[in-house]
Amino acid sequence: MSFRVLIVDDSPVMRAFIRRIIVLSGMEGAEFLEASDGAEALDLLHAQWVDVVLTDINMPSMDGEELLRRLEADAVLKTVPVVVVSTDSTASRIRQMLSLGARGYVKKPFLPETLREELERVLGGAYAG
Amino acid sequence: MPDNEWHDMLAAATGEVLETMFFTDVSGPAPVGASSPEPRVAARLSFEGTPSGALTLSVSEPAVRALAANFLGSEEDDPLPAAQLGSVVCELANMICGSLLSHVRTEEHFKLSSPELMPSGTACPPGQPSQSLSLGEDMGDGVSGGTIDLWLTLEQHAG
Repeated sequence: MSFRVLIVDDSPVMRAFIRRIIVLSGMEGAEFLEASDGAEALDLLHAQWVDVVLTDINMPSMDGEELLRRLEADAVLKTVPVVVVSTDSTASRIRQMLSLGARGYVKKPFLPETLREELERVLGGAYAG
Repeated sequence: MPDNEWHDMLAAATGEVLETMFFTDVSGPAPVGASSPEPRVAARLSFEGTPSGALTLSVSEPAVRALAANFLGSEEDDPLPAAQLGSVVCELANMICGSLLSHVRTEEHFKLSSPELMPSGTACPPGQPSQSLSLGEDMGDGVSGGTIDLWLTLEQHAG
């Protein structure tokens, strides 16, 4: 089963790493879209459907926190699951991002299987492995 | 928190990041003087919170190539461009700093700046690094070992 992932991170090498890890983790059928900040991500999300968004928090222009706020305010886009992938893993930050609508939180550094498990969890029936 | 506890946490954070994301282990403290002669790639970022501070790291150039190859999965006969190597070092600094700060017991968010690559020839902070670590013997990409130096500076808060 194919699924479309939008990776939002201002670091091109981190986007490449996440792509690689998803492929290496054995999840088949992933299609990738990329954005370097929240504003670019919103443009992409308004143009095409994605099954899951993986977003960093700390980005120029529009950060991950504002991206979550904008998605939550959009009746259609709020249904797209968002998983935060960030080096910031203080308990208060995780609580804040979950309260803003994030469905999951992966702390960098992460093991490939951690990302896979989180993706499978939020994709649910959309991904049958 | 005493400096030696910070330095131990820095070593642990570095090991965690290298093992998890770069598939490379830290073999232990680098021998004294092991870092100086090699060409190196350095990056720096600052953070605001309690405490505020900055982290600078410097990695020997052959080790950077091996780390980048491990991180991005490139082949030995397909060398990565210099800009990409710099980005990998910046990302390494970002993750080590984030991992370090995640172990600080606080309810406060830390705000990390974007890591910046230090121009070649730019001096690292004065004094001995907070940590100087030897990387694993078999890093892949034909590279054996290498060193990573880290300087952690913390702002002192009055009261």
